[in-house]
Amino acid sequence: MNSETIINLVKDWRVALVLLLVIGSLIGIYLAPPSPEKGLEGNLQFGLDLQGGSWLQMEFQSVIVAYATDGSVGDLIENLQTSLEADVIQIDENHLEIRKTVSRAELEPLFAASDASIVTYQKGVSPFTADEVKRILSEKVNALGMQDARINLLTPTGSEYPQYVRIELAGVDMTTAQEIVGKQGLFEIRVQTTGNQTEHVLFGDQITSVGTPQRDFDGRWGVSFSLTDAGAQAFREAALSSGAVDNPNAHNLVMLLDNETVYSAPLDANLAAQLRSGPVRSLSASTGTGDSGLEDAMTLEIHLRAGALPVKVDIVGSGSVPAALGEQFKMTVVIAGLLALLTVGVVVYYRYREPAIVLPMLAINLAEIIILLGIARFIQQLDLAAIAGLIAVVGTGIDQLVIITDEVLHDGRVPSPNLYMKRYGRAFGIIAVAAATVFVAMLPLALMDLSTLRGFAIITILGVLIGVLVTRPAYGKIIMAILSK
Amino acid sequence: MEIARYDINKYSPRQMVVLPLVLLLLAGIVLGYTTLTTGLPLTPGIDFAGGTAVTAFTSDSRETIEATFAGYPLLSVGEGIGDGKYIQFGPMEDAQYRSLVELINERYPDAKIDQIGETFGKTLQGQAFLALSFSFIGMAVVVLIAFRNLVPAGAVVLSAFADIAITAGVMQVIGIPLSLGTTAALLMLIGYSVDSDILLTTRLLKRKGKLDEKLSGAFRTGIIMTTTTIAAIAAMWVVATAGQIQIISEIASVLLIGLFIDMMNTWMLNAGILKEYILRSGKK
Repeated sequence: MNSETIINLVKDWRVALVLLLVIGSLIGIYLAPPSPEKGLEGNLQFGLDLQGGSWLQMEFQSVIVAYATDGSVGDLIENLQTSLEADVIQIDENHLEIRKTVSRAELEPLFAASDASIVTYQKGVSPFTADEVKRILSEKVNALGMQDARINLLTPTGSEYPQYVRIELAGVDMTTAQEIVGKQGLFEIRVQTTGNQTEHVLFGDQITSVGTPQRDFDGRWGVSFSLTDAGAQAFREAALSSGAVDNPNAHNLVMLLDNETVYSAPLDANLAAQLRSGPVRSLSASTGTGDSGLEDAMTLEIHLRAGALPVKVDIVGSGSVPAALGEQFKMTVVIAGLLALLTVGVVVYYRYREPAIVLPMLAINLAEIIILLGIARFIQQLDLAAIAGLIAVVGTGIDQLVIITDEVLHDGRVPSPNLYMKRYGRAFGIIAVAAATVFVAMLPLALMDLSTLRGFAIITILGVLIGVLVTRPAYGKIIMAILSK
Repeated sequence: MEIARYDINKYSPRQMVVLPLVLLLLAGIVLGYTTLTTGLPLTPGIDFAGGTAVTAFTSDSRETIEATFAGYPLLSVGEGIGDGKYIQFGPMEDAQYRSLVELINERYPDAKIDQIGETFGKTLQGQAFLALSFSFIGMAVVVLIAFRNLVPAGAVVLSAFADIAITAGVMQVIGIPLSLGTTAALLMLIGYSVDSDILLTTRLLKRKGKLDEKLSGAFRTGIIMTTTTIAAIAAMWVVATAGQIQIISEIASVLLIGLFIDMMNTWMLNAGILKEYILRSGKK
């Protein structure tokens, strides 16, 4: 091949596109942003099994029930709460979130007792609750200065509601991971006595339940919470002895989480009056109007729970990989990949015995892998399963290059450009159908939340797409230029 | 290569389809029997049945490991090349699991541990079943649209089905459990198997020329295709198995079995049906 053919080849948009994408991918992996300290890995993101760390998969102990009733919803909720001893929350006009694992059969008589019936029953929590769990978990993780944490809500296919939350912490062992998730802060309520002095009222263990942010008649956001009898008693005594009941504005109530003030406000006049006559168990802390009020209320709710999740969670799966083992796996998969490429090279050489065909084949395959990694760097972390997908793509990739080569080289004769294009078109037809099937076959796995094999499916699909749209057309061009020399 | 010397034109369509159909029947019996006795067509692995899997690198012998974990529901101890060990436990209570983790951390601090709860495993099972069904239906629709002809498309779908069923049968016989990894491999097989089937069908139906020549041409290309794939997967299997990367090793072994089964199904079952179809429609 002389330099003129090479220039013409590069000018062809198919070949140029491959070159551009390879360069772009290399820039994405190594230069944007530059990461010399990571060596060959560049900016690729690795999954836990390759970088070391722990994962926990937790199931929400909660069900969502669609109900129908002629009576009052408030009564229904009230009855459910007392008989189940669990929080029950109305999430929209006909759905209740029952924060307890309870079967449909157990619920039915309870609903019937309130003149209501169950329309649908599903495990899970409302998206709102799920987001809150996610927020609390992120807050806990961030508080410990860990950046490399992934928290994902998972909805099983066929269900509308998130049922699991999966947390992945890089570089953390299992015991620490469980501690982080289970750890609760120390919540305390104090009352201002004189000046800036405060006095202890109660700790977070006296709080029995915490509501979700709600708006009162004046449009102010607030979070309601209930106290135990002892807590309510302590609260009343402190309010009376400190003088908060008589002069609320001079005696703020202060809430602290791990000794940091998270809320401070005077006693409400109505409440002060109620406290005079007796203890009050249900309280509400208001945070103000508008979006900022809502935001503060949401944060306060988390603080009131002292880092406890609104819904109980059960660990249903967990795992950990020590960093050293991850490193070893990384080396192993690199060897596996190189060996796969090499064996494939030997096999195609055995078949064609023509470097002019074999080398472009391998080069195109390599380009495909680089482009794949370049895209994956932005959308998909590489875990062991994803790497298996990558190697599987090498297999299919070469497959299809063989189809093109054999189709074009029919009878060993080099065809005229016209005939060439016709044959290439036919080969491409085969490839396109094959690619469509792989795409369809892997799609369910790629879309399913629960599979840890999403990486495998996504890499395979991407590989097939890059193959059909970018690298196979380029290979067709290159092989034509080589054959017609 | 021995296989390449097989003369695909020597046999009648009837002879060609006998072996795959017999194997399909046998696989059906194996899977059916397992379903009747256990409720599932394949023995589920830890992903689906719940349990704990541990990958450790230790010079301890299998006996030592078995003795160490005697108080736990130990299922199996697998050995790789070098010191790699793959230890599996059945589902256990939370407290027992915690003490197991402590024991592992003490004995083998560099071990990889994965645990799946029993009910969660059930959920995963259901999801995997959904994925397999959707994949298969999707594949059948694509093939039907591509060929718009019932017999050739049916042959492709049948041979893809035979691929999965026979591979699953072989898995059950040699003891590869059904896990997330092997489910993914079975799905991948749907994609792989259709590759060579489509090549065969396109060559035979859309090219002009003598049937015998087209068939042996397609066969030559098809065999080299599957061989390259087998080569890549074999390399992956060897390295992953030696390095105790269980999930890749599982995916690779199922793909390897599947690719060999696929060679048979494509060039005997699918080719046989297609040949009969072409011969019949030619006589008209």
